[in-house]
Amino acid sequence: MNGTLNGSMNGDAIIKLRNIAKSYWRETLEIPVLQGIDFDIPKGGYYALMGPSGSGKTTLLNLIAGIDRPTGGSLEVCGYELNDLDDDELAAWRNAHVGFIFQNYNLIPVLTAFENVELPLLLTPMSRRERRERVEEVLALVNLEDRMLNYPRQLSGGQEQRVAIARAIVGDPDLLVADEPTGALDHQNAEEVLNLMARLNTDMGKTILVVTHDPKAAHHARFQIHLDKGVFDKTVEVNR
Amino acid sequence: MKYVRFILKSLTRSKRRTLLILSTITLSVFLVTVLQSLLTTLDAVSNNPTSSNRLVVRHKSGLAQVLPMSYLAYLKQQPEVEFATYLQWFGGQYKDPSNFFANFASDETTLFQVFKEEFGASGVTEDQIQDFVRDGSGCIVGQSLADKFGWKVGDVIPLQGTIFPISPRLTIRVIFKGTKPSQENVLHFHYKLLEESVPRMKGKVGTFFLRVHNADEIPRLSARIDNHYANSASETLSETENAFNLSFVKMLGNISAIIQGITAAVLVAILIVTAGTMSTAIRERTTEIAVLRAMGFRTGLVMSLLLGEGVILVGAGGIFGVGLASLAAGGIRKGVGASVPFLEDFTLLPSTMLLCLGITFVVGLLSTFIPAYQATRRPITEGLRSIG
Repeated sequence: MNGTLNGSMNGDAIIKLRNIAKSYWRETLEIPVLQGIDFDIPKGGYYALMGPSGSGKTTLLNLIAGIDRPTGGSLEVCGYELNDLDDDELAAWRNAHVGFIFQNYNLIPVLTAFENVELPLLLTPMSRRERRERVEEVLALVNLEDRMLNYPRQLSGGQEQRVAIARAIVGDPDLLVADEPTGALDHQNAEEVLNLMARLNTDMGKTILVVTHDPKAAHHARFQIHLDKGVFDKTVEVNR
Repeated sequence: MKYVRFILKSLTRSKRRTLLILSTITLSVFLVTVLQSLLTTLDAVSNNPTSSNRLVVRHKSGLAQVLPMSYLAYLKQQPEVEFATYLQWFGGQYKDPSNFFANFASDETTLFQVFKEEFGASGVTEDQIQDFVRDGSGCIVGQSLADKFGWKVGDVIPLQGTIFPISPRLTIRVIFKGTKPSQENVLHFHYKLLEESVPRMKGKVGTFFLRVHNADEIPRLSARIDNHYANSASETLSETENAFNLSFVKMLGNISAIIQGITAAVLVAILIVTAGTMSTAIRERTTEIAVLRAMGFRTGLVMSLLLGEGVILVGAGGIFGVGLASLAAGGIRKGVGASVPFLEDFTLLPSTMLLCLGITFVVGLLSTFIPAYQATRRPITEGLRSIG
């Protein structure tokens, strides 16, 4: 595939992929996972990456989020060519530009909801008071202001995922990446989380890229990118 | 500082494991601190500054042999000698063999001259000394010995001879304080009492103690004395009092090598136990570490946080261990010191405590470094187990 996935039809591309390839090596055997991925995603877009297991969607998400490196091609995200950044620069870039939402929430069990959300801010020069105000603000945004002193084990799955979303947005990143964010939730909680993500896109202008198997989750996106066997298959605009 | 709370909370992840490893480290550091303090205590026996200007002259063949009392005149004539006295180990028992303490037949007048620092510290008055000098069956005892048996001035002490066939009944005339506890676990009585009661000791004595004007003169004086009596019926061996004391410590074997060996074994054990525990603790958090790095925590920062956990855990164990050893020092002085006289001076020096804490700190760093290094070098995607 080549061309532009100009879903929102406005603003510059926040993600520019050019001929992206990724292979893994098992001893001397090269296993290609992605080949020739070549597209742009505009700022403020809401995209779902879809495809069967092993199609490379999570690998592509990891490359875009800067937690893995391609074996070929150019990868520009949020104005930075990621191949040019060393590991520490890439870490600083992730902290400033990317929010992560995982399937299993991945909250730190020994920290309260407040402390979990505060974690990314520890890397910033914000004062303790500024951090507290910001954490309270985002916890209120996800309707968990009354649970901020609870530990993850004291929260439901839906609440845990909302804490994880609060943690992802507390640093005001440009890009939110989510890997099966509703995979561990029941229908009602999944719907709440998806609605929250949609609000982050429409109200706060966050660019969202979500990997999902779930057609309902994919339906919340405005575009669906389909991968198959490591290559681009098709783009589908979601009709509402 | 903003990461300290995070580190401390991470240590509470498995309270039982943290408590067990803390207890293990505390006990190990306690053991290392006590052993190292034992070494410094024994070392002090042979490096006593108040003994540095005293020379001991004894029979070359060993302590069981005696020297002619006539040697005293020659020894006193040496220009380096300020005062000279003589002692004979009596080896008497008080009621029961378990009531061990050092007891000597000593010259009642020159004893105070040669050992004036030791007796001077107690503030013994001239009148008290004269009470002892005048009473042929009088004795002087150290304060800790008096405290141990509840003795007071005027009490009569029966001593059962084990080397010599006499059992003198001695009246306490002076109770003195020494500069160290070990100096107080001793009794001196009149040499004449032994000499007059035991015919074979007539004109004989076990050791001479010489106080010299200048410690630098000891080697020359020592050589001269030994040369003077070379090839005589009773050859001498002259040595500093510190060297004389060290010979008793050496009777216990190569204590230094034994203690250092045990210390090394304990340190290796702490290293292995802590490394194993930290390795398990870190491995359990592979995903968490990956999440932190995904959030933007640099590898070096994550590594520092993990090392911080190890150092705080081991450091706390170190502080508790040293504190426990400090609390136990008094018990060791009273308990073990009753059987091993040198240990009455058992002390935890600040330098020993700092050394043990320093070693503990290094062990904490070493034991955490490898698992932390491995965990932070693993690809983030592998940590997240999210390869699609």
